[in-house]
Amino acid sequence: MKRPPVPTEAAFTSRLRNERLSAGIGMWLGVSFGLCFLTGLVSHWYYLPDLPVLPPVRPVWGYQVTQGAHVLSGIAAIPLLLVKLWSVYPKLFGEIPFGKLRPLLVNLAEKASIAVLVAAAIFQLVTGLANSSGWYPWSFSFRSTHYAVAWIAIGALVVHIAVKLPIIRAAYSEPLPEPAPEPLAVPVADPLAEPLAEPLAGPAATDQPSGRGPSRRTLLRTALLASSVAVIAAAGNTVPFLRKVSVFAVRTGEGPQGVPINRSAKAAGVLTTAVDPAFELTLVNGDREVTITRADLEAMTQRVHQLPIACVEGWSAAASWTGVRFADLLDLVDAPENASLRVRSLQEKGAFGVTEIPASFARDPLTLLALKLNGDDLSIDHGFPCRLIAPNRPGVMQTKWVNRIEVLA
Amino acid sequence: MLIGTVGVAMGSFGALRFLQLGFGDILNAVLWLAGGVVVHDVIIAPLTLLVTLVAGRLVPAPARTRVAVALVVLATVTVTAIPVLGRWGARPDNPTLLDRNYFIGWLLFAAVVLLGTLLAGPLGRLRRSRQVRVSQSAG
Repeated sequence: MKRPPVPTEAAFTSRLRNERLSAGIGMWLGVSFGLCFLTGLVSHWYYLPDLPVLPPVRPVWGYQVTQGAHVLSGIAAIPLLLVKLWSVYPKLFGEIPFGKLRPLLVNLAEKASIAVLVAAAIFQLVTGLANSSGWYPWSFSFRSTHYAVAWIAIGALVVHIAVKLPIIRAAYSEPLPEPAPEPLAVPVADPLAEPLAEPLAGPAATDQPSGRGPSRRTLLRTALLASSVAVIAAAGNTVPFLRKVSVFAVRTGEGPQGVPINRSAKAAGVLTTAVDPAFELTLVNGDREVTITRADLEAMTQRVHQLPIACVEGWSAAASWTGVRFADLLDLVDAPENASLRVRSLQEKGAFGVTEIPASFARDPLTLLALKLNGDDLSIDHGFPCRLIAPNRPGVMQTKWVNRIEVLA
Repeated sequence: MLIGTVGVAMGSFGALRFLQLGFGDILNAVLWLAGGVVVHDVIIAPLTLLVTLVAGRLVPAPARTRVAVALVVLATVTVTAIPVLGRWGARPDNPTLLDRNYFIGWLLFAAVVLLGTLLAGPLGRLRRSRQVRVSQSAG
């Protein structure tokens, strides 16, 4: 049986594929990956409590914006990456200069760097997209792996830009040749791939629509259009006025008391402990311990603050929280002004049952141990009997079902 | 050269973090890293070529640009919706997650793309004829 022939780079003759298209899409891809990387670093910052510089407590909507931008810039990159990969796909079949050692090594090094870049880029977008919908079809730890591969992806991207800079410069500095005359006499198989047709004109001579398929500029605009549509279709997660049109948003924004939830009381294993009438909150500072009930909490000065709950998965919701100022609780055990705190939850299952909160957040006047949400007692899924809510902080660290607050030395 | 060095440094930091993940995590992550490339290069890319080849024969020349634009938007945006269409992340204890009918949403999205494709032809002709008229009256 005859083996089907492996195509060569020259077999792909679409006049749309050229350096200018690759560079144009590459620029937008670079912008979205850059934004995604930086906002990802901001999010990772919150998980590093020992850094000398901590995330700021203002603006209150900071994390809502950066994490929304993180997920949406990743989604924006998906159509761009697919078109970009299409535009450079023939390079996969480029000739390998066997025989001469130096060109062979250079060629293999470039192929390896591209392989790393493509693998890391696809990996980041696939894992990030799946994670934003609560889907974990892998066994590795998401956060540390997504973080490590983010550095690999951005490093490989920077190397790629450095290597391709001469080509990018050339692609933009050379004027596009005059459009070729209409190739009426030659039958054309298809508008994009054309593996059968002869190359009709110079590869760049395609900026004018010729009536037989999209121009290269149209393809770039199409990629940007697809990218924008993908963002709008998902953005209702965090942009309220887009909720109606965001047909692919992971959440409608509905939920108990008008706010979605991430971990339910059932998932946390607190269905009985959270509603136990004997519930007590314990405050600990060294060997001093104070225990108070929910009724005691209700008897303290109540404050109402508008604070968004913004999740690492990219969704967010504005809400009105009523409760006790966190600093007032700390004063009950004379916690030092600069002490950070450990907040424990009744939660038995899943991560973040215990979180640390630095003094800047704990002492912020807006930070509450909330008892009510949007005017009513917290529902059990929102953290009844009491939960932490602080400005500009990832939702996963807004501990629910709080039963113990410890002052750290 | 400087940019390249910065890139290598950033990538090396990532590689170092990656190698600290532990054997099980590394093995599984490498599988996913390679899997993404294989799925694209062996399935998605050849499938795209096949679709463009077939579409190129079926679609008459004047409509090719519109159809190509529509197919690119439809296909790439649908890729971003795979996790919600599959609903693999849905949890019975959390009704606030994946709480839309994403299939209906996809049909609406496809209908909008189709409508846009159908309208793009007549609208384009109208615009061109207007431009001609304007240039004639100006001349």
